[in-house]
Amino acid sequence: MAHGVWVLIEHKNGEIAPITKELLGKGKELADGLGQSLAGLVLGSNVSGLVEQARAAGAGNVYVVDDAALASYTTDGYVAAAKAAIEAHQPEVLLTGSSLQMRDFTGALAAELGTGLAPDVTGVSIEGGAVQAVRPSHGANVINALTFGSERPMIVSVRRQVGQPLDAAGSGETINVAMPQTEIRTKVRNVEQRTGAVNLADAMVIVSGGRGMGSPENYEKLIPELARVLGGTHGASRAIVDAGWVPYERQVGQTGKTVAPKLYMACGISGAIQHLAGMRSSNTIVAINKDPEAPIFKVATYGIVGDVNDVLPALTEEVKAKTGR
Amino acid sequence: MHAVVCVKQVPEQNSVKINSDTTIDASGITPIINLFDEYAIEEALQWAEKNDGKVTVISLGPDDATDSLKKALAMGANEAILINDDSLGQVGAQGAAKVVAAAIQKLGDVNIVFCGKQSTDDETGQFGPALARFLGWPQLTYVFKVHELTDSQIVVDRALEDTLETVEASLPVVITAVKDLNEPRYPSLLKIRKVSKQPIPTWTLSDLGLSADSLGGTINIAKRTPPPPRPSGEILSGDVQTQVKELVQKLIESQIL
Repeated sequence: MAHGVWVLIEHKNGEIAPITKELLGKGKELADGLGQSLAGLVLGSNVSGLVEQARAAGAGNVYVVDDAALASYTTDGYVAAAKAAIEAHQPEVLLTGSSLQMRDFTGALAAELGTGLAPDVTGVSIEGGAVQAVRPSHGANVINALTFGSERPMIVSVRRQVGQPLDAAGSGETINVAMPQTEIRTKVRNVEQRTGAVNLADAMVIVSGGRGMGSPENYEKLIPELARVLGGTHGASRAIVDAGWVPYERQVGQTGKTVAPKLYMACGISGAIQHLAGMRSSNTIVAINKDPEAPIFKVATYGIVGDVNDVLPALTEEVKAKTGR
Repeated sequence: MHAVVCVKQVPEQNSVKINSDTTIDASGITPIINLFDEYAIEEALQWAEKNDGKVTVISLGPDDATDSLKKALAMGANEAILINDDSLGQVGAQGAAKVVAAAIQKLGDVNIVFCGKQSTDDETGQFGPALARFLGWPQLTYVFKVHELTDSQIVVDRALEDTLETVEASLPVVITAVKDLNEPRYPSLLKIRKVSKQPIPTWTLSDLGLSADSLGGTINIAKRTPPPPRPSGEILSGDVQTQVKELVQKLIESQIL
């Protein structure tokens, strides 16, 4: 009999990740709905400090595989450790974030265990007593409601902002699981910060520019500064990435990043279907475009019809005046 | 070196319709090779050329997926195999990986598999990792650069959200490609004509010693719907200063600022 909703406790530099706090909130809701308990799974090396952090963020029991082989992420190490803990303690559900590393991990773990994976979901809930996950596909043109077969655990990788962090700490036991003998077949030689790296997926505010900016100089002058005063980061449409104005890391859309920030501002972007695919589930969308017929206005919460080169400097000044940034 | 590239045929645009039985209706939309798979093909071709190896492309799909396989042949792949079986119409990523793993094992001498990081239609990103597990091989996902590839070893950069990870592994191995790993070549008209008559064998589940009931069930699609319409928006009016002040006021009221 399977028991417990587990949240993988993701961590970096000894701190648990923001996504994990959100997932403990979501995990609590699922655990309550299933009449089960909420637990954390910690994988890493010298991770005793994370147990208290996980509990402070709401985890009850915390399962720990602490081994030097888990000092950096490898698929083989993480899969072997998670499998050992899962087989020993039989959780019903395992939640992880949906970063690329977690997509790498969960895809392998689900196949290894022969269990179901709902990848990169935008929602997960209990419907009629069963876990149901929701994920977009086909460039957000199709919303899929997924249910699981009888295999356990049900594995779900979840996007940011699906769960809310808990206020109350959890209580429970710390259960150590031994790292099984494993051959780790990949060797990480080096990890470096990407130059100009942007984590669009985690940004709360994204200001994107497109062809309507007119030139790379206009983009560079206006978009990053507006993004800065709004407390966010900047993105781009495929058109100007392909034109070489902006590096691919910043591309929002079907073949770039899919984002869902609190505020998405599309500046001089007409709203091609492939761009809409990457941003249409943003909470609030502001569109600024010269062409009142541009498709971007169909998804916009607020629209300004005008030249970005007039509107953006005024907007940046107004935000500065109101927020003091 | 014998490289396999897994190729999925997908609709060029995602403006698909949803049938009442939750299947996807892409009729009238041009089918193309999944964008990320094109980078996988190109990378396999380049390294096979350097290592005096060969490239086999495999697609699981309906009869017309031979169009994508022919394009891959015209780009320079040596062989192509279509896996087509009536019972595979709704197979999920994990089931598809199991089938393709069986095909790769049937080929026998494969030592590297290239896939795209995900398909642009289902977007699960699950196929490559699942394939590696079913083959019992290591995986290197989100590969942004291949530094070195010999018959025994590979060194790559993986592009993650904000880090670049340099990783090495021994072959056999499964890698998944991101966009801009390389510049996929265009097949010449001459090559397109040359491969048009090249036979593409079709393998069924029974050719692979598999049965349909071993391939699914872990995930079911309960429902598929179009995205909810966004609430209708508001076009602000007045001169630039008025519009800008009103917008900022609205963002403050809705606690975005």
